Amino acid sequence: MHQTLLTLAIVGYVIATGLALAFLVQRDELIHRLASLATLAGWILHTVALLTLALDLGRPPLGSLPEALLVAVWVVVLVEMWLERRYGLPVLGAFVLPVALAFSLQSMPMRPLIGSTLRGAWVWVHILLALVGIAAFVLNFAGALMYLLQERQLKTKRPGALYYRLPALETLDRLTYRTLALGFPFLTIGLILGALWAGAAWGSVFAFDPLALLSLVAWAVYALALAGRATAGWHGRRTAYFAILGFAVLALTLGAGLFLPGRHG
Amino acid sequence: MPLFVAGLSHRNAPVELREQLAVDEDKLRELLRDAAASGAVREVLVLSTCNRVEVYAVADVPGEARGALFRRLCRHRGIETAPVEALLYTHADAEAVRHAFRVASSLDSMMIGEPQILGQVKDAFALAQSCETVGPALHTLFTQAFAVAKRVRSETEIARHAVSVSFAAVELAKKIFERLDGKAVLLVGAGKMSELAARHLVEHGAFPIYVTNRTGARAQEMARALAGTAVPFDELATALAAVDIVITSTGAPEPVIKREAVQRIIHARRGRPLFFIDIAVPRDVEDSVDTLDDVYCYDIDDLKQVVDANIRERGREAHRAEAIVDREVAKFLARLGDVEVIPTIVSLRERLEGIRSGEVKRTLARLPAATPETREAIEAMSTAIVNKILHAPITKLRESSRAGSSRSWLELVHELFGLGRK
Repeated sequence: MHQTLLTLAIVGYVIATGLALAFLVQRDELIHRLASLATLAGWILHTVALLTLALDLGRPPLGSLPEALLVAVWVVVLVEMWLERRYGLPVLGAFVLPVALAFSLQSMPMRPLIGSTLRGAWVWVHILLALVGIAAFVLNFAGALMYLLQERQLKTKRPGALYYRLPALETLDRLTYRTLALGFPFLTIGLILGALWAGAAWGSVFAFDPLALLSLVAWAVYALALAGRATAGWHGRRTAYFAILGFAVLALTLGAGLFLPGRHG
Repeated sequence: MPLFVAGLSHRNAPVELREQLAVDEDKLRELLRDAAASGAVREVLVLSTCNRVEVYAVADVPGEARGALFRRLCRHRGIETAPVEALLYTHADAEAVRHAFRVASSLDSMMIGEPQILGQVKDAFALAQSCETVGPALHTLFTQAFAVAKRVRSETEIARHAVSVSFAAVELAKKIFERLDGKAVLLVGAGKMSELAARHLVEHGAFPIYVTNRTGARAQEMARALAGTAVPFDELATALAAVDIVITSTGAPEPVIKREAVQRIIHARRGRPLFFIDIAVPRDVEDSVDTLDDVYCYDIDDLKQVVDANIRERGREAHRAEAIVDREVAKFLARLGDVEVIPTIVSLRERLEGIRSGEVKRTLARLPAATPETREAIEAMSTAIVNKILHAPITKLRESSRAGSSRSWLELVHELFGLGRK
């Protein structure tokens, strides 16, 4: 049941992504309205899918990385819809939805990966915090991408389609900063809890787990970006590059968690 | 509806001819009244701007009415009719509706999306109304044209992107800064164009304004005009550190703003962008300033390039606007057509219903033994017959009105069913 619903939700996201990208090229209010509608439809199906999944599993759908990523996508789409309305950013979908879609496609083969012996209260908190962090960094990535594109347009002085669609540089820089400032504490505490729990469960914190190791790299990138911003006033292009680098590592991390053997999968 | 529009515009007539034909308001009143009094037209409206002279009219014989109107117009202005007539374009019925919608929506303007034309059409409409030459046809047409123009403006961006250099600069500022209120502006040099750009910025909330110039008195004067502060020219570097937007327009042969001066202040800004609008020729801002991070430097050529891009963007938006106009024309004609044939449809129904109920009554009076079921069946059957008979003529009337050929069909139906003159 949840698998069917999930497939339908993903179909909704595919349509929404296509329309959102089309809206970048062809600024037609109708396309945007249809994209919003498809996004909302996908998200509602997604919500129902998660609820049925939870009922089927008899626990929150956070027990494995694919499940948790599904919830992360759910959060991302929710926040995307809110930001789009709140800040009048109709192009945001074109930058966020493809990423959300990629993540939801990765979650397609559903395999509960954590055995019952390893379950405990802390692991839920670890997963929950990490996924809020991931959701924030998806938006961080989208903001950085939009910043770089708009900056390019303004520097080259040849306004193209994107110049008219994208908001002001300051707005985008602030979006990048806020999502970084939001995502970082979640990621940090999520990682600490994960390490503590790993120590308790396996007796060692630093065993070879590709996801754990790579996530430390991602954390370091984001930490550097935040520190640079706070102390040296880094901003604009530089923070945008960090956001993209950080997200690349994060995506690699999750990919490793999904496809390589280790504690997460 | 025998509606037509005839005229000439920037598209087909040279400016010399257009100015010769342009009519002032008093003459226009006279002309409208004369035309209506002569009986050549049933309704008439004249739109006269520097880019077009057009007559919108409802007349039984459009060709004659057109000739009469323009002969009158040319006589008023004392010019030959022949060269004008040779240039006139004429659109009738559906095409006239489309033309009115396009003109009011600023799709037929020299600069697509320019806002004045709608006001000019509204004025022309008000004038014709005051002369009582607007009847039901022109009234519906222009009320709808205003609504279409509003829709086009709000749903497309044909009127958005700036087509003047000074407005383009403001729009660029809005793509750099989230909001302009509270952004400090420095004017280096006191030219007319920089004053204009500064005024636009002030309208969007930019504050405070500083003015500096080699001649202090000129700076003082400009500062007063803009409610700003004059700054001595040798304190330019200090002033630079305090502002977000710099507009330069000095006549200096060498750049007055050097890379190292900007580089010195850029660190202290902690990432707040700095926007140079350099409208001086030769340029006031050194070329290499633009390569600094967070500095955006647009010279006059760059701004013109942005304006060109904006005009192209308006053109793309115009395609969408044309689609809206197309849909609106179709909707308008459908509605108008129905309005025209509805009275006939109503009286046709009334006529047949009268016959039916009369006959049913007579029949039932002769059948006192009929059960309620029988009576009901007779009612139902007769109603069904009437509806079936009515179906074809009503459909035909609706279709013909949409095709714009309802007149003869209306007459035919009136004759055939004895509905009396309409």
